Amino acid sequence: MPRIDSHLHVFTKASPEFPRETTAVCPAEREESAEKLLSVMTEHQIDQAVLVQMGGASIAHHRYLLHCLEEYPNRFLGIGLVPEAHPNPAEHMAALTDNTGIIGFRFSTFGGPRDIFAKMDVREFAAYPIWKSAAERDYVLWLYPNAINAHLLPYLIQEFPQVRVVLNHLAACPGKGKFNWDEFGRPQIQVTGYNLFMHTTYRLARFENVNVHLSGQYAFSREEFPYKDLAGWHRGLLSGFGAKRLMWATDFPWILEEPGYDKLTTVIEELLPNLSEAELADIMGGNAKRILRFPDL
Amino acid sequence: MILPTPKQKAQWEEEGYLVFENAIQGEDLKRLQNAFDYWADACKTEWLDSVEAGEAAATFYDIPNPLEKDPIFIDIIDYPSYYGALMTFTDHELILLGPQVRTVAPWPVSYTGWHPDVGYDNPLHIKVQIYVNDVEPGGGEFGFVPGSHKPGSGPYTRPMRQESMTGHKTFPGKAGTAIMFNSCGWHVSMDNHSGTPRKSIILIYEKRTPGRVKPEQFAAISAYCQTPERRALFSLNG
Repeated sequence: MPRIDSHLHVFTKASPEFPRETTAVCPAEREESAEKLLSVMTEHQIDQAVLVQMGGASIAHHRYLLHCLEEYPNRFLGIGLVPEAHPNPAEHMAALTDNTGIIGFRFSTFGGPRDIFAKMDVREFAAYPIWKSAAERDYVLWLYPNAINAHLLPYLIQEFPQVRVVLNHLAACPGKGKFNWDEFGRPQIQVTGYNLFMHTTYRLARFENVNVHLSGQYAFSREEFPYKDLAGWHRGLLSGFGAKRLMWATDFPWILEEPGYDKLTTVIEELLPNLSEAELADIMGGNAKRILRFPDL
Repeated sequence: MILPTPKQKAQWEEEGYLVFENAIQGEDLKRLQNAFDYWADACKTEWLDSVEAGEAAATFYDIPNPLEKDPIFIDIIDYPSYYGALMTFTDHELILLGPQVRTVAPWPVSYTGWHPDVGYDNPLHIKVQIYVNDVEPGGGEFGFVPGSHKPGSGPYTRPMRQESMTGHKTFPGKAGTAIMFNSCGWHVSMDNHSGTPRKSIILIYEKRTPGRVKPEQFAAISAYCQTPERRALFSLNG
C-alpha cells in the first residue's frame, strides 16, 4: 500500500514564469520546490503527495502547481484555489482541471448566514455554485472552515452527497484573529482548551462522503512533538469517522525545521498507538489512494 | 419536600432515570420562560462574536452566569417536584455543580453524540434536564439508554446515527417537564429537524465530596441562599 502525504505545499521563486503572491514568510526569493519535497519523501519512504495551491488563486498563480503535476503525474495530485467572489467559479475550476492533475479546490467560507438560527436556504449560499460544479464534475472539496462558517457545512453536504469532502487539519475551524506565525515560520492557531469542533465538524461523521486530515498538529498543540495534548482529538476523530476516512499529512514545508519531516511520519503511531497495522496503513496512504484516486505507481 | 415513591426509587435504581411531567408549571413556568427568553436574546450577539472568534461552539449557546441574572434560575435548583428525589438518592449530601441554560439550534445533525458524562467510579452524578418549551419527537429531545448507568452494562459504542443506539428511549415532552438521569448512563440530544430551537436547562448535581465546589463559586448569589439547606446545596459553607 502506498504511503501518501495528503496535504502539503510547494512553491518556487516568484518569477514571470511562475508568478505568486509574496508574504513575509514566503518572500519572492524563497523556494520550497517539488524536487526538494521529492527528496525528503524518498528519504522517508513516502510515495505520493497532494500539492495544495498557495500564493494566489488566479489561473496564473497556479502555474507552478500545474508544472509540478505535469512533471510528476504519478507522484502528485493537486488542489487549487478559487478567487473570492469570482463571477464564474465553474469556469475557473474547469480551466484548472482539464486533465491537469488538479482534482479539487480549497475553501474556508461558504457565504451563508452567520447565525445558525437564521433560515437556511442552501441555494442562497455564495458557495452553492462551487458545490454544484463540484457535484457535476466530481471535484474534491478541501475545506478549512472559518469558525463562523462551520455550521453551514451540513446543509451543503446534504445537498450534494456525491461530493467528496476532505476537512483539513483535524477538522479544526480557526477563529477570527487566532492565526499567527511562530518563530519557526509555522502557522499557529489559538484554540480553546475544550474541543469545540466536536460540536460542529466532528458531527459531520454522519455523512459518509466526509473525510478528515490528521495533520497540522503543530499549529494547535501547546506541547512539543508528539503533541500528546491532541491525542483526545485524534481518538475522537477515529471514533467518529473510523480509520477508513482519515488521512495523514505533514503540511510541508512549514514543519521541515520543527519538528522535522521524519518525526511527522510517526505522529499517527504516537497519537493513536492502538491502531492495527491495517488501520495505520489506511491512514498513512491507503485512504488517500482510494478516496482521491491516486494513480498506481 | 416531595419524596420519591417506591416505584420511582426502583426505576431510578434499575433504569437510571425519572421523568417528572409538569415539574414546573403555572406562574413559575411563565417566569422561567420569560427569564430564559429575555436573557437568551440579550446574550446572543456576544455568543455569535465568540463563535466567530473560535471561542464558542456554533451549534448551541448557554446564558452565562444565569444564577446571577434572575432568581428563577436559583429557585429551580431546589424545586420541590424533584428536589426530594435528588436529596434521597444522594443521602441528603447533594451539591450543585452548575446549571446550563441552553438553546440548541435546529441543525441537520445533533450537536453531540451518545456519551456518558462520568465513569462508574465518580461520586453519584445526576443531571436534571428541564424543557423550557415543548419538545416534540425529532425536536432535539433527550435520549437515554435505560440501565446503562449500571457497572457491567454494555459495552456501548457510539453509533453513526442517534436513532441507531441499542436499547435507547427518547423523551419528548411539554414545557416544564424535568428528566432526571444518572450521568453514568449513555445519553444524547436527538437530532432536531423541527425548525424550532430546543430551549432547556440542564442542572448538574453530585453527591458531596470534600472540596468539590469552592465556596466562592456561588458566592455572588449568597444573598439568595439563607437557609442551611441552600447554603449546603451551593457549597457556600465550604
